Amino acid sequence: MANHSASQPAHVQHHFVDSDQQFDSAKLGMWVFLVNEILFFGGLFCAYIIFRVWYPELFTQAALELNKVWGGVNTIVLIGSSLTVAMAIRSAQRNELKGLRINLMITIALAFVFLVIKYFEYEHKLHLGIAPGSFWNPTPEVLAVLDHPKANIFFSIYYVMTGIHGLHVIIGIGLMIWLYIRAGKGHFSSEYYTPVEITGLYWHLVDLIWIFLFPLLYLIE
Amino acid sequence: MSTTEHKHGHHVASAFQLWLIGGALIVLTILTVVVSSLPIPAPFDVISALAIALVKAFLVAAFFMGLYWDVKFYSILLVGALVFFILMVSVTLLDTMYRNDIIPSF
Repeated sequence: MANHSASQPAHVQHHFVDSDQQFDSAKLGMWVFLVNEILFFGGLFCAYIIFRVWYPELFTQAALELNKVWGGVNTIVLIGSSLTVAMAIRSAQRNELKGLRINLMITIALAFVFLVIKYFEYEHKLHLGIAPGSFWNPTPEVLAVLDHPKANIFFSIYYVMTGIHGLHVIIGIGLMIWLYIRAGKGHFSSEYYTPVEITGLYWHLVDLIWIFLFPLLYLIE
Repeated sequence: MSTTEHKHGHHVASAFQLWLIGGALIVLTILTVVVSSLPIPAPFDVISALAIALVKAFLVAAFFMGLYWDVKFYSILLVGALVFFILMVSVTLLDTMYRNDIIPSF
């Protein structure tokens, strides 16, 4: 063991004892980042809770402007993409490089479906003047259903929470494309798939956040 | 079954397990939409929606993220994050719930 770096696989960086230690270090780093993410979104959920306690009737009224069906479809799309990421990791662990690329490709496609649906939801709302904060300028039809002095605050919370979640989806797509390209170059195998594993953890967290956003924003009436 | 565990952190979940979890998550999503349309009185509608969301979150964290098979340290990190989140919300609500007047501009 005197000169262990010479006997290690090429992917092991010199400051790690072995491949397993490198894998565990990367994974621990990602989990610490995810803790940070939970508390980051936690601040937004905290704002949601405070305003819902202050204005319960606002939340039940305003949620009527959100489309349950598209919210539900997007939930299922994200769950599907979480499944394909888990399958991608499984493929890498079993050295099935074609399966890895196919699963990453489906994940990227589902993430785009999510964003397209989100775009049409935003576009529809902004068209009706349902905008956050001081941009709140609803049409008379919207005002007939939702006449609340603090209605803009609900939509500030809605746009910030779903917007930052959407940003995470966009970053996730970037990471998946990076993984797809590296998988094509043959960088991953059952011996080394650390980037696939930790990107998977990130993607599951994005799914987890949506699992709470969907009932809390769309399903109140 | 290819669920051989040769080293911690490298558990290979079976495809059947993963599909089962994915299916359960979709069923629970449909369930939460159905439950939300039932006439459930005030506090219990939120409680039922959150209960279903927590079950879904548990399934994702335990099986998709692999915490069920992994060393417990990652689970401690996750639970620790949730404890501090609850602490943050509780302390904030102790202020905001007991104000005589909500700050008008809010």
